[in-house]
Amino acid sequence: MLSKRFINGSDFTGMVHRGAECLQRNVERVNALNVFPVPDGDTGTNMNLTMTSGVQELVSKPSPAIGKVSEAFSKGLLMGARGNSGVILSQLFRGFSRSLAGQEEVNTLQLAAALQHGVDMAYKAVVKPVEGTILTVAKEAAKHAVSIARRTTDVVEMMREVHDKAYDALQRTPDLLPVLKQVGVVDSGGQGLVHIYEGFVLALGETGVTAGQGNTSANPTPTVTSPGERTGYTVFVPQQPSSAQSRLSTEAIEYLYDMEFFINRKLAGRMAAPFDEAAFKRALAKDGDSILVIADDEIIKVHVHSRKPGDVLNYALPYGELTDIHILNMREQHRGLLHEESIATDSQHISGSTRSIEDEALGMTVPEVLTGAPVDSVPVEQAHEWAPYGIIAVAMGQGISNIFLDNNVDIVLSGGQTMNPSTEDFVKAIEALHAQHIYLLPNNGNIILAAQQAVELCERNITVIPTRTVPQGLAAVLAFRDEETAPVNTDAMEQAAKQVRSGQVTHAVRDTTIDGIDIREGDFIGILEKSIVASSPDLQQSCRDLLSRMMEEGGELVTILTGEQADAAETSALSEWIESTYLDAELEVHAGGQPLYPYLFAVE
Amino acid sequence: MSTVRIVTDSTADIPQDMREKLNIEIVPLKVLFGEESFLDGVTISPEQFYDKLTSSSMLPTTSQPSPVEFMETYDRILNESPDATIISIHLSSAVSGTYQSAVLGHSLLEREGDIVVYDSKSASFGIGMLVVKAAEMAAAGMSKEQILDAIETMNQDKRLYFLVDTLEYLQKGGRIGKAAALFGSILNIKPILTLDDGEVTAIDKVRGQKKAVLRILDLVAKDFGSDPVDMTLAWTTHNELALEMGEQAKARLQVRGTHHTKIGSVIGTHVGPGTVAIFINRVKG
Repeated sequence: MLSKRFINGSDFTGMVHRGAECLQRNVERVNALNVFPVPDGDTGTNMNLTMTSGVQELVSKPSPAIGKVSEAFSKGLLMGARGNSGVILSQLFRGFSRSLAGQEEVNTLQLAAALQHGVDMAYKAVVKPVEGTILTVAKEAAKHAVSIARRTTDVVEMMREVHDKAYDALQRTPDLLPVLKQVGVVDSGGQGLVHIYEGFVLALGETGVTAGQGNTSANPTPTVTSPGERTGYTVFVPQQPSSAQSRLSTEAIEYLYDMEFFINRKLAGRMAAPFDEAAFKRALAKDGDSILVIADDEIIKVHVHSRKPGDVLNYALPYGELTDIHILNMREQHRGLLHEESIATDSQHISGSTRSIEDEALGMTVPEVLTGAPVDSVPVEQAHEWAPYGIIAVAMGQGISNIFLDNNVDIVLSGGQTMNPSTEDFVKAIEALHAQHIYLLPNNGNIILAAQQAVELCERNITVIPTRTVPQGLAAVLAFRDEETAPVNTDAMEQAAKQVRSGQVTHAVRDTTIDGIDIREGDFIGILEKSIVASSPDLQQSCRDLLSRMMEEGGELVTILTGEQADAAETSALSEWIESTYLDAELEVHAGGQPLYPYLFAVE
Repeated sequence: MSTVRIVTDSTADIPQDMREKLNIEIVPLKVLFGEESFLDGVTISPEQFYDKLTSSSMLPTTSQPSPVEFMETYDRILNESPDATIISIHLSSAVSGTYQSAVLGHSLLEREGDIVVYDSKSASFGIGMLVVKAAEMAAAGMSKEQILDAIETMNQDKRLYFLVDTLEYLQKGGRIGKAAALFGSILNIKPILTLDDGEVTAIDKVRGQKKAVLRILDLVAKDFGSDPVDMTLAWTTHNELALEMGEQAKARLQVRGTHHTKIGSVIGTHVGPGTVAIFINRVKG
């Protein structure tokens, strides 16, 4: 058995790769741990995408120093965070990396302290920490690490203990969170973290770990050869909204050059001027948009769409040495896209340095024009003068997106029940929006944390209205008034969101019993706010049962948002039933176009 | 003692019996279906107009009375009672040129006359209630100053809210004012409309008619509390919603008098079928 007294940047890089690999291999398994038997369980996907973003950043900044590597990893996680588990994961490693700042290599005591620091950071980031989740798993593992570190100097042994403890804690999550016990699953986010730790242990050369304890993996655990070995693994990249780009006319691209580069302050040494981020952003904004500046003490990452790339480089020069310069002509690229609908653009890059093979493997060549947001939903007139308000909403389905855009929403981020937008998606949308005060409507409970994390990363006036459903989001935008002050609007939107009852219908993906309701795979289940209240093999019956519950306290207005899978005859039968059962209520039916959920209901 | 005579225009939507009883002079606006021209409330009744509006393929247009028509009206009144003072109360100058036309009509008059042209900054019975008040005071022998003072106070204090079935008519007529940048058309959004400083303004927006009525009642309940009020309900084509709103209002307000009126063809052109309105003013206990 190998033993190690210190781990450095290379070791940690290997651990992260292995961790990502283990998680990636178990994505579907983690997804399946969703408490509700709904078809969009996505914790695994979210954590995997978050992890992928961390790996990308880490790969782009190789270093033998663990402090540097974990910092890069943390930054990538932070930007790529999707879903609540993804956000918590990013906070765990944010605290971890802060604790290791400046270190070349660390021993067990330092590593344990870093794990503990990560847990502290994650608990702080969550408004109401819930035990029996990834938080508990991380907490118990870190606590154990701290105690182990006092009696062993072997990092490998400690990491194995950490993994085993995490696994134990995971098995106990149903005792802490009754809903897990009811359904008979362990916490999905916690499971994801255990897979990551499993990879850490594998990378450190400890074999047989999953065979004995973590037998949660679908495949037999591959034999681990050497620490830090890189194996190819596929990376899940979200589908790009190519149709939105196709709709954008080539001539409409106002800021032609998509630029990305780093300002390395360290290389410039004492020659570098003090970095004034606000002034720099203002300079970029003169002839550009989609501005993204991420600064730390040594490296500043810059992204901008600009009319004058030369000016941009000149603005940046006083602050340090410029590296990894990529300039892309978006019109040229867009013409190519229209021509072949493909996204192979490497030849159009003018590279300041050779792009690494890893970047290619990780899908870094995807051009980014507001990932997930329809480009043509950004009003052109706002590019030149800042509007008092901007609203960014998350929605799935063309119909729902159109309703939001029709009602004061400036940018709709594609996502929701299936693909959760990342913190970075929010950051990009925020940067693209020239508004003095920005409202974010996550419209899904699992997106709220990512939205809140984006607020912290952007130095802008932003308020997250914590909407958990599309109906809540719609109620909120309708309460918004351009001429009111921000506090009035915030209050009105929050109140409005609380006054709507939200229901959704989808099909069950497994047998289970929850909230006293027996559910068979393939049944249509009706969800009222956060609880399953109906289940039936008959869609019509399930909808009626759900609506009956929603109408218990009365209601003046019933709205149906029909999904992709809704059938016209089914919808009209349902409409007739509602109209004949609830004579005093008004009914509205709109095409939402959302996937997986044939019907969303709102009762007001 | 000089008499005070009250003039208004057809958009005040004053019911026939009231205008006869109180000797109110009405100058009609015009509504045109292409080449065909009608005098609002004179050659076309509200019923005839809405039948025509829903059956005709073309949308009507409206026009204000000419200055000469005002001049002739003032001249006729002064011929009848040469020492009369005239108070001429009209449709909001922000949405119509009627007030301007009346002012011009006064200046065209080739004789001395004590005429005050008053911009109600309101419409329909929002003008009507001022006119009725003024006419009642005139009948009671009150002076011009007393009357103007009273209607100004009433004008500040009164409330009116209306609900349109669709914003289409307000948009086509260009009378949408501050309600313009409202909202999308996909959801059935009901703006709660009022006239603010004479302009059509949406003071809130809700989804669905029932919620809209509830919201209006919240607003009037806040404005008037337990003070005794008069209430006038008005509609273009269907009275059910207006009457329903009236019933609900009675449960929440101290309503002393209730009146009903039909919205005439000129206002009807701009708000469209399915519009309902409520007008409330405080009365002495």
